[in-house]
Amino acid sequence: MTFRFRSFVRVTLLAGAVLIFNLPLVWTLLASFGVTPNNSTHPPQWMLPPTWDNYREVITPQTILKQLGVSTLVAVLVTLLTLFTSFLAAYALSRSQFRGRRLLLQGLLVLASLPVISYVIPLKDLMFVSHLYDTLPGVALAETALFAPLAVYALVGYLARVPTEIEEAARVEGATLRQVLHKIILPTAMPGMAATGIIIFVLSWNQLLMLLVITAHRVQTLTVMMSDFFTFERELEWGAAAAALVVSVLPVALLVAATHRLLEQFGIGGVNQ
Amino acid sequence: MRLHKASVLSNRQFLLLVLPLAAILILFLLLPLVLGFVATFTNYAPFQTTIRFVGLGNYRNVLQDGAFQAAVRNVVYFTGGSVSVELALGFLLAFALRKPFRGRSLIRFGLLLPWLVSPVAAGIMWHFLLNTTQGLLNYFPALFGLSELPYPLTIETAMLTVIATEVWRKTPFVTFLFLPGFISIPAEQWDQARVDGLGLLHQMRHVVFPALRVLLLTVMLLLIGDALGTFEAILMLTGGGPGTVTLTPGFYSYSQAFKAFNWRDGATSGWFIVGAVLIVGGSYIWLTRHSRTP
Repeated sequence: MTFRFRSFVRVTLLAGAVLIFNLPLVWTLLASFGVTPNNSTHPPQWMLPPTWDNYREVITPQTILKQLGVSTLVAVLVTLLTLFTSFLAAYALSRSQFRGRRLLLQGLLVLASLPVISYVIPLKDLMFVSHLYDTLPGVALAETALFAPLAVYALVGYLARVPTEIEEAARVEGATLRQVLHKIILPTAMPGMAATGIIIFVLSWNQLLMLLVITAHRVQTLTVMMSDFFTFERELEWGAAAAALVVSVLPVALLVAATHRLLEQFGIGGVNQ
Repeated sequence: MRLHKASVLSNRQFLLLVLPLAAILILFLLLPLVLGFVATFTNYAPFQTTIRFVGLGNYRNVLQDGAFQAAVRNVVYFTGGSVSVELALGFLLAFALRKPFRGRSLIRFGLLLPWLVSPVAAGIMWHFLLNTTQGLLNYFPALFGLSELPYPLTIETAMLTVIATEVWRKTPFVTFLFLPGFISIPAEQWDQARVDGLGLLHQMRHVVFPALRVLLLTVMLLLIGDALGTFEAILMLTGGGPGTVTLTPGFYSYSQAFKAFNWRDGATSGWFIVGAVLIVGGSYIWLTRHSRTP
């Protein structure tokens, strides 16, 4: 095969994959504007014209706008707290050698792969005891514990690739640890931090199970609201559901669209390679 | 170099840097995990007045429940099916994306989109898309005048359908995680393989697998852990049914604790999931023990 033919095949295959993976989303977007096919006619007739009715129905101050705000607040808090704690720990782990360091990192990875359900039931009792149940700080702390193991693992890999000469010179010149972190490490680690932060933001935005258990009505995110609305036993209208779905995905889709070049800095292969 | 690196931080500085994270992990992850474990050997439940030791009684109860047995069988099937397809497809797509070309970053973005949909939203979406009259599934048969496809959430097909929806949502993230690995393989290694006349399979064996072995195992660990705890994917789509054909231990545990208010069975079945993840994690540590760390 010639090089040109190969690359043509590659691009065609990839474009096909993009199309197949996104067809369900296109269908949902159309349905949110009331454009749905009628599959019992041949060929299927499409409902036209498109309308904003579904959006008008689901977006009200009580239903979606409030939860959008809560979801944003929760995801921002969780992202900042995760980045702050993970950055410090990842720096310490990437700049030290001790027995068991490797096992510690792998242990973090095992924690990262531990599903929420495996400890969320006792977590609820602890949240009650500590009066953190259904509070913003409670959610921020619990979700940070959930996502930080992955963030630390990714950041250790990233920081290990940052050369140590400059910080060592700075230490010799008498710079304090705080100055080194603030003036040297943080600026060079920024792309990796930002990429990790975006991944954490998306994970937090989409988290359901933990919030179902440790929150009630005071801290209700969009994801929890949707699970309340559309229980599988209840038959509901597709158009309204599709509109709610689009509203829930749009913020993270825009965020990732704006930053997807930056996201190339995220990786979990750095630690062991 | 190594020695010098070690002297960058004093012990006190190391502990100070690690402390905030350690405190959060201990209080909000390890403590509930361990207290939950201890409690599964007692009759503890919220509002229980006298706590006493019950040995393995809770574990025996859960193991004897037919629904839990079905859930364990289902999750083995679900994990094996979904993780292997996600790995294979994600690997293939990352392989195809490894070299720069015009429009690559647009395709990368397009291939990440399904992962941005929350599991709940995905469940709601598939519930309607699999619907026969307005959905996606039967649009194409109708377009070509073929007969309608059977409803995909019956006893025979529900599990396969749930696996397919999970593959749709997670493969994009797997591709995203694999791609940096492919990109980090030096170009000379590909060229050398081509000069040596190695075919695609040989390139995989001699270039790709040695370089990506640890990354592959790492992604596999994360996927298996996630699959073993599956809850959201079935919450909206099947609710564990029909009957118990798509019930998972995660869903069983949640329903026991928060729907049937049976704390003991809920927490105990949760610990079966922890046990399974620890076994998989131990295997991961064992399999990666000979690779280098920085």
